[in-house]
Amino acid sequence: MAAIIGKIRRVPFDSRSGHPDLRRGVPHRRTSLFLAAVFAVAAIGARGQGGSDQQRGSDSQGGSKDPPLRVVGVQTHDAPEPGARSPRNANYDIDVRLDHAARTLSGRQTIRWRNTSARPTSELQFHLYWNAWRDPNSTWLRERKMARNYTAPLPDGWGAMDVSSIRLHEPSGSMRDLTSQMKFIASGDGNPEDRTVLSVPLGLSVEPNETIQVELAWTGKVPRGIARTGFIEDFYFIAQWFPKLGVLEDSGWNTHQFHAPTEFYADFGVYDVRITVPSPFIVGATGRQTSRVDNGNGTTTHRYHEEDVHDFAWTASPDYIDLTRTFTHPGLPPVEIRLLMQPEHRGQEDRYFSATEAALTRYGAWFGAYPYGHATVVDPAFQSQADGMEYPTFFTGRARYFPSRTRQTPEMTVAHEAGHQWWYGMVATNEFEHAWMDEGINTYATARVLAEAFPDNRWELRYFGGHVPWSSPDVPFSRLDNDRMAGYRDNAEADVPATPSFRYWPTSAAIMSYNKTALWLHTLENHLGWPVMQRVLSTFFERWKFRHPQPADFFQTVNEVSGQDLTWFFDQVYRSSNTFDYGVQDLVSERRDDGAYRTTVIVRRYGEATFPVEVVTTFTDGDQITEKWDGLDRRAIYTYDRASRVARVQVDPRRVLLLDTAYTNNSRTLDPRGGEASLGWAARWMVWLQDLMLTYAFFL
Amino acid sequence: MRSFSEGWKRIRSAPALLLGVYAMTLVLALPLAITMRGLLRTHLGASLAADGAATGVNYDWWQEFSSQATGMGTTFTPTIIGFAATLDNVSSLLDGQRESAPVAAALALYLVAWTFLAGGIIDRYARQRPVRTAGFFAASGMHFFGLLRLAVMASVVYGWLFAYVHRWLFLEWLVDHTRTMSVERDVFLWRVALYTVFGFLLVVVNVIFDYAKIRLVVEDRRSALGALSAAMRFVWRRLGRVAGLYALNAVTFLILMAIWALIAPGARGGGVTLWLGFFVAQLYLLARLALKLQFIASETALFQSSLAHASYTAAPLPAWPESPAAELMR
Repeated sequence: MAAIIGKIRRVPFDSRSGHPDLRRGVPHRRTSLFLAAVFAVAAIGARGQGGSDQQRGSDSQGGSKDPPLRVVGVQTHDAPEPGARSPRNANYDIDVRLDHAARTLSGRQTIRWRNTSARPTSELQFHLYWNAWRDPNSTWLRERKMARNYTAPLPDGWGAMDVSSIRLHEPSGSMRDLTSQMKFIASGDGNPEDRTVLSVPLGLSVEPNETIQVELAWTGKVPRGIARTGFIEDFYFIAQWFPKLGVLEDSGWNTHQFHAPTEFYADFGVYDVRITVPSPFIVGATGRQTSRVDNGNGTTTHRYHEEDVHDFAWTASPDYIDLTRTFTHPGLPPVEIRLLMQPEHRGQEDRYFSATEAALTRYGAWFGAYPYGHATVVDPAFQSQADGMEYPTFFTGRARYFPSRTRQTPEMTVAHEAGHQWWYGMVATNEFEHAWMDEGINTYATARVLAEAFPDNRWELRYFGGHVPWSSPDVPFSRLDNDRMAGYRDNAEADVPATPSFRYWPTSAAIMSYNKTALWLHTLENHLGWPVMQRVLSTFFERWKFRHPQPADFFQTVNEVSGQDLTWFFDQVYRSSNTFDYGVQDLVSERRDDGAYRTTVIVRRYGEATFPVEVVTTFTDGDQITEKWDGLDRRAIYTYDRASRVARVQVDPRRVLLLDTAYTNNSRTLDPRGGEASLGWAARWMVWLQDLMLTYAFFL
Repeated sequence: MRSFSEGWKRIRSAPALLLGVYAMTLVLALPLAITMRGLLRTHLGASLAADGAATGVNYDWWQEFSSQATGMGTTFTPTIIGFAATLDNVSSLLDGQRESAPVAAALALYLVAWTFLAGGIIDRYARQRPVRTAGFFAASGMHFFGLLRLAVMASVVYGWLFAYVHRWLFLEWLVDHTRTMSVERDVFLWRVALYTVFGFLLVVVNVIFDYAKIRLVVEDRRSALGALSAAMRFVWRRLGRVAGLYALNAVTFLILMAIWALIAPGARGGGVTLWLGFFVAQLYLLARLALKLQFIASETALFQSSLAHASYTAAPLPAWPESPAAELMR
């Protein structure tokens, strides 16, 4: 029995802490007995399966051998405890020290990883994200240069991540050094100078459901604030900072290089992290703080723990104002909200809290309750590049010294990043390949939150170097604006959304992921109605939380819950880059000899994408006729013989199809007010021009 | 202070000048406004979007227009509404932002027109008595090329200030110096400091060229360079009085801006509300023009009180040549 147990490659486990016990070299006795019983049951069951087991047990030469004893159908002792929300197959135990003077991190971590795929593997692949800013030749920086406004890092602004050792726990209890076998791979673009993916051959095969444990030692050079991570002065926001395993799927390792337009993808697990920083620093992180130890040498170690998350980020600064508020709402579990605030933004804390609460309330009611019980919100330092980003139970907002007079900041940003706790945090989609699934769904949902919670939003611009805000009370910022309609029009054809996100053109990647997705989701809501849409999203959330859904899973959920086959819709909005544009080509109302009017309405599909629309014709006597046009043909012609002349015609008057890039041509009236409107606005524009002339008259 | 109040007195005594420069501003802006109206009307067509735009802001249509606009159409943004227009224009100037080609052309034409009229304006304020339309334009014509040469020199200096000094201050020094700052308040204060420095340089150049124009017209100088060096001497020797007068006028400008910020019309409503707002805006522009003339009038008064006497000008009163028929009648 001991030999059988040894085959499973268990590692010592401390049942009190729930963590690997590296101090001991033998399994816990009670657990061993439990496993022995399990194995006995499995062995008895396996005897009835005959050939298939023997087939699994074949060695690489094709001969048969006794199948490795594995726990079939029952998880090992480090698998999710009862009540665990996620598979917990990638568990990290990390010690990290920040050297503030040198701007470096030094860390050791132990990873317990279980193969949850259907295929064995003989290697591990890690993300070393900070190597994206190691030198100008990384894939990330090459792609960023193609976008606008690229600024090279300052001389002290580069980052790096170096793994100095990696060792594998052997079943015997010894450690095998794999360091010399590490190699960088670039399976995406073949860039030999990109060092963001590290492959480590293991020298053995990890079968499905088997667990291994590795230890790594590494150092990181903290970059000056870039892409939501780094430092500025005494402010640190540390994200993607440790060697992180990729995701092993049935098709193989999914470990993309770090690309400029994309974010991240990882498995769920338990994180236990000890962060040592200079004692004056206040620390915030994913999870709850479980201990804080003054080391007596000017440093303090903060321990954080979180379960069922797929990432861990943290922040440190001596300047934070630390505030707490508890969110409570009938029917939803309470959440302790911790806000780490910049002193210069004092006075805006209520805005941060209310925006977070607005998201917790509505996302909780619409999709599902936030389960973690706590969240940390960070008000990042100016120019830290850390604003507007999400991590599990931990996210950043955005505030300005001159507070916004509208709801643009911090409310919009905070609500969006809080929303990511659902779409990204719990429904953990692959942000490399399908960024729309978190950014787009979340943008759509955030727009709805803002429309409900902050309906008085207004347009705002900032002057004098972008510091001084000015808003006009006359220019509303609607839900459609929060869906980011403005950016969509200019980039509607930039890419096919089904293209893997890391292949999007860098300058329009966000438009595809955020704007276009939010707009087609809002269109879908208009088409199905909010009650159905809400059921779609809550079903999708419930079904796929703490898992990794694919686009097909979302589309399947939509079809299932709506009871309709909406493949045609997804073909238009997701699988093509065609644009929507319906309009009125002509409207004529001719008086007949008998005094009646013959009205001819010609509506046209100018764009290549199709969608069913209503065509509503209104007559001067107030009557209306509504036609339902399937929108497939290029043109539809409607003729009416009526006593009254036509007043106007509108295509899609209820604005169901939000992706229509030119809504102005959707209507026509025989009593247009374009002359009046253009005169008024030209007059206002002329005042601006005269003012400009007088401003330049300063030089005379 | 005496020159400050004298300046307003001279403006009140010559209301035609104020109305004239206002008319010039209106006339030069009108063609572009008509063009803009055409662009907007074409885009609105016969659609119902115009209904919303006729009575206020139809932001959805506005954004659609903006996404398709080119050239001058790109200037049609929400920044044209009310006080945002003034803020946007001042901010663009201080941040060295460029205008679209049609607008830049209109601005250039406006500045040339001002250069032409400046001779007549200074002459009238200096003489402090009616000169009739003919005399005004005669003075304008007489001094135009001298003032034009001064304007060319001024444009070289201003161009250098914006192309090099402004660029170095704001795009290099400020960026390098504040790139590692984590407190926005501090970054903003540095920007304000640089605005002050750059603004001071602009004011110094502005004051010198103002007095160069005055000396060229009042003393009937032929040499623009001579007028420029004479202006430098004048400003240097009376720094306190010159600076004090400029400061008084500048404070008046700030007060006017503050009032405008409070009363600037928004964009709601059409019909009477719209045109009432337009009228108020034109009154504001008239006030700004008056203030522009006040700079000229008060500085002329200061010059005359320092180096000459009131109403002194070296050149004879311009007389329009009489027609041969009039001579025959005599």
